[in-house]
Amino acid sequence: MKNSIAIIIAILILIISFFAFTNTPLVVRGYSTFKSGFSETIGPMLKLITKPTDLVRYIFGSYVNLMGAKRENAELKRRLDMLLLENQKIPELERENKRLMALLRFMEKNPKSLIAARVIGEDLKNWYKCIIIDKGSGSNIKEKMPVITPRGVVGQAVEVDRWHSKVMVINDTNSSVDVSAEGKNTRGLLEGTGQTVLKLKYVLKTDDIEIGDKLLTSGKDGIYPKGLPAGIVITVNRNKPGIFADIDIMPFSNFKHLEEVLVIKQQ
Amino acid sequence: MKIAVYTFIGLLLLLVESSLLSFIPLEIFKPDLGIPFIIYTSLFLGPQAGIIATLFIGFMQEGLSAAPHGSILFVNIAIFLITIFLKRKLYIDSKYSFAFVCSGFVVLESFLFITLSLLARGEADNVLNILFYTIPNAVFTGFIAIFIFSFIEYLNVRYLERE
Repeated sequence: MKNSIAIIIAILILIISFFAFTNTPLVVRGYSTFKSGFSETIGPMLKLITKPTDLVRYIFGSYVNLMGAKRENAELKRRLDMLLLENQKIPELERENKRLMALLRFMEKNPKSLIAARVIGEDLKNWYKCIIIDKGSGSNIKEKMPVITPRGVVGQAVEVDRWHSKVMVINDTNSSVDVSAEGKNTRGLLEGTGQTVLKLKYVLKTDDIEIGDKLLTSGKDGIYPKGLPAGIVITVNRNKPGIFADIDIMPFSNFKHLEEVLVIKQQ
Repeated sequence: MKIAVYTFIGLLLLLVESSLLSFIPLEIFKPDLGIPFIIYTSLFLGPQAGIIATLFIGFMQEGLSAAPHGSILFVNIAIFLITIFLKRKLYIDSKYSFAFVCSGFVVLESFLFITLSLLARGEADNVLNILFYTIPNAVFTGFIAIFIFSFIEYLNVRYLERE
């Protein structure tokens, strides 16, 4: 009898969760309230767990550093040669300087509009690309607020609880950002693939875009402010069928190694 | 008592997985640490214990994931029900057969998720992404399940069988 009750309860919850998934208004409201209540208890626990893992992180990092020291040395020599070459590219650097100055001006202009947060976890499923930060509604973070690092766009807040928030990273399959190529009129949608490399969609084959072009947010998607660095073009394939080019983008930020991020408060 | 201990260990492992694995480059191999606990409690402690563990683990996983509302809980409950209905068919006599069953259920979980997305929304944006990770996740979950089973059996023999 007790076993039958457990199975009946399971079937009822199965039905409720199905309706929650399909966004049935009445169910999803109650479900969200219950879920956020449960999530609020997770926040402090996650912060507590992060403390000892910082030590593990340090030990692991030191070990990896030691193992990679020799390889890093060779890599540094190679990079030195590259930097000597890059020094000759003054105009390009000037343009980059302008972009960074714009970012700096943006930050100086809106000192109260940025909230610094620490990354305390990531999505349990590798089907979704999401990070968890240690600031939530208690720090005035709201859904759809853009999240950045000084290197570029990270993503947007998708679920906010009192203690922590979930940030959908731009390489998630559900993410798309309106971007334009720096110094050009080419615009497109930067979409996540679930992998490291992103896709730039809806760029015509005739549009002016080349390997090495930097992409900045256009500010036209209503989420990300204009001028934030998003990524760099690594391949452009104009030989595939159709009117649009197949373009791969490498994001500026390494989302696996994020420790601190900045959340842009909406005015 | 047993169910409380197992569920607590399961929840703790999920928290550690979320915070610890974020900096270890194991993106392709991400174990589903909830499944071994759901299967163990459902098979060895009965449906009542199984549903309690499934609910807690399901909500915890939803809390630590950007997956759509209800999706992970739905899949976990479905796995619980399948485990209960297959109870007499599944023969687990060692940690290896347990690991094999856990791996199988991780594969099933992926297909259940894709089916749910297709049925409920008529589309599944990340089908390829889910399929890409299915086998690595299943293999790694099976590997971790060996240790989880051994640890639970150790706890049983050392502390919990006295109840």
